[in-house]
Amino acid sequence: MQHRAVALGKLEVVQGARPAGGDPLYRSYALGSAFDEMFTPDGEVRPHYAALHSRIAALPSEELIRRQQACELSFLHQGITFTVYSDAQATERIIPTDLLPRIVTAQEWERVERGLTQRIRALNLFLEDIYGEARVLKDGILPRTMIYGSKHYKREMRGVSVPHGAYVNVCGTDLVRREDGAFVVLEDNLRVPSGVSYMLANREVVRRAFPGVFRAAGVRPIEHYPQELLATLKSLAPYLEDASIAVLTPGVFNSAYFEHAFLARQMGVELVEGRDLLVNDNFVYARTTSGLKRIDILYRRVDDDFIDPLTFREDSTLGVPGIFNAWRAGNVVIANALGTGVADDKAVYAYVPKLISYYLDEDPILENVETHLCREPQSLSHTLANLDKLVVKAVGESGGYGMLVGPHASAAEREAFAEKLKADPENYIAQPTIQLSTAPTLVDGHVESRHVDLRPFILHGDRTTIVPGGLTRVALKRGSLVVNSSQGGGSKDTWVLTS
Amino acid sequence: MLSRVAENLYWTGRYVERAEHTSRLLAVKLESMAEQSGEAAEAGWSRVIAALAAEASADDLGDALSRTEVLALDRGNPSSLLSSLSWARDNARQAREQLSSEVWECLNRLYLRLRPLTIEQVWVHEPHRIFRETLQNLHALEGVIYSTLRHGEGWYFLELGRYIERAQLVSRLLAIHFPADDGAGTSPTYVDWLVLLKFCCAFEPYLKEHTAAIVPSRVAGFLLFDAEFPRSVNFAVGRVSDALQHVAQGAPPQRRAACERLAGRLKASIDFGRIDEMMEGSIAQFLAAITRQCEDIHDAVHAAYIAYGAAAVA
Repeated sequence: MQHRAVALGKLEVVQGARPAGGDPLYRSYALGSAFDEMFTPDGEVRPHYAALHSRIAALPSEELIRRQQACELSFLHQGITFTVYSDAQATERIIPTDLLPRIVTAQEWERVERGLTQRIRALNLFLEDIYGEARVLKDGILPRTMIYGSKHYKREMRGVSVPHGAYVNVCGTDLVRREDGAFVVLEDNLRVPSGVSYMLANREVVRRAFPGVFRAAGVRPIEHYPQELLATLKSLAPYLEDASIAVLTPGVFNSAYFEHAFLARQMGVELVEGRDLLVNDNFVYARTTSGLKRIDILYRRVDDDFIDPLTFREDSTLGVPGIFNAWRAGNVVIANALGTGVADDKAVYAYVPKLISYYLDEDPILENVETHLCREPQSLSHTLANLDKLVVKAVGESGGYGMLVGPHASAAEREAFAEKLKADPENYIAQPTIQLSTAPTLVDGHVESRHVDLRPFILHGDRTTIVPGGLTRVALKRGSLVVNSSQGGGSKDTWVLTS
Repeated sequence: MLSRVAENLYWTGRYVERAEHTSRLLAVKLESMAEQSGEAAEAGWSRVIAALAAEASADDLGDALSRTEVLALDRGNPSSLLSSLSWARDNARQAREQLSSEVWECLNRLYLRLRPLTIEQVWVHEPHRIFRETLQNLHALEGVIYSTLRHGEGWYFLELGRYIERAQLVSRLLAIHFPADDGAGTSPTYVDWLVLLKFCCAFEPYLKEHTAAIVPSRVAGFLLFDAEFPRSVNFAVGRVSDALQHVAQGAPPQRRAACERLAGRLKASIDFGRIDEMMEGSIAQFLAAITRQCEDIHDAVHAAYIAYGAAAVA
């Protein structure tokens, strides 16, 4: 799974109020400056959490532990695992699921849904523009170098038209809740976002663990995600009555392989690897026992650089030689389109609110996290003056590389980083350390607060569809803000309520 | 069906069969340790090791505990029980979307149950117990394969793998009991023939057919030619032939013909084989020929349905 750090570093636990009148179940529950999903700052239970709160209170802690273990065992048996490679050893691990769901009210969701729909429309218009006329650059909204200098800009995409102008068909947008309770966008994932299988698997086990609360709460369903994904893919080739669709995976060694197989199975389509496919006369075929079979639509989970060794990285063994030309010829649809990564880079991110106004003439519904572009002189001086408070990230990198976490760096590290920053300011952005909201989480049979984010999955073909909810990722280490699965992160079921 | 997926299913079938064979041989051998001692027991071990681990010999492997460890749990031994299950599971994972959740979970649980075991844990009470348990689980797996999958092309590829492997394993086991160079080594005793039947889960079915008179030629005849016993070579070859009729039905006739001809020839050689003639000297060659023909079928299936060239665009 592609997980990225939300913000690095571990902040001090604020030993503030204790919720709910000293219930021993909550003896280690810290309420700090972060927004808490279940408790108000005074320790009162928020109304939409009341039913879950009283159900937890009614269960003995051994029973909570037992249900937690049953759920982990079920993941292991189903093979919902990712593989960690170290030396010659490959270890399979489950991504820990926390039994206590994260609950989002109908009103909150309504706003999130509108905001995400607006955002994906703008991002798709932006991609169509920069691979077409590039008006946005001519009008000076964005600096040219930011686009043409990006390693994710694929010039091969110039002049390729995609159905409905939908470049990004599956998007995973990472949202976090600020201290004031507002959902803001931390990051867009426009390439091959993963995690949706965990969203669905979590729902299965949590519904089984809390059937009564689930029924009573009125939780909006998410189980139709595979059908919606299939419909979105089909809408990309509306002229084909009976399109042949497949999921393209890098293979069994990829850490998200379970998800690829899961989605193929749930959609009832073939799961293919690059070596199963070949291109002949600009058509794509799969090698089957009965001969070659045409493939019309590929939901690809292989990165841009690896998909076609003839066009991109020639050392790729995961891809399909010639598939890019087959696509340009209009003989196969590839979703997501190639070259979408240029729009989720950290510098472009800072411009998305402006892009929304530019393309849609609307105010952004969801805000960004406050971001300073170091290419702008006043931002650079602000960043240099506040290095001890900010997180500074290199624009083209992900996964925590090339990053400085000001509050946790030594003076010498900050000084060294300041030199790099001054030498190449265009390559950096700065953000304040964000206190992600906290949610109740089971820890050894009692409940503690842990930081969470939310990744909803947005589908975009001839229309935009968002199944209500998403993957709530949780930093299982006390006080940690890192929800990354390789660094002790887990996930939770997300309940969006009907009213 | 995707060629690669067909191949994954085929290998899943083969490895599951091999795992079952290994479990049964180990269970039966460990159970029969009480009945045999000294030279006879050693000869028995030699046969089990020859049947399960082509490269190793009994002398290399030390005592019963370390022999069992190598044959059952050693990941360094590519044909150990755990290796076979691990390969079966890896292949099944790559054909996951063709399998039911029941099949996958059954195989996955079985593997996860055995993976952490040490030989000391196996040995502490009755060593055969874990292999009996594994056999039961493998039978359950066979049951969910039969009852939860569509009996379509994928299922027939599983069958094809399973029965090609079975024909080869039973032939090999028989060949070890009828060595070509008679005289070398210890000849099998009455107990050995009885154990051989148990190795193939054939003891009770044999009694029903031939009564308690355990005669080498009848044992061989039963395991080779019985038409109704599912672990006879005849039965396995029949299923191979049947599976080949059902896979790749859209493939061009000339490619199908190559596989079906080989399977038909093997079936005919068994249909027209006579155990009394073979007992006069030709049984070792006959068994070797079966193994070779199984390999030919394997190669033909691979060439026809899995790795054919790209020239054949429809």
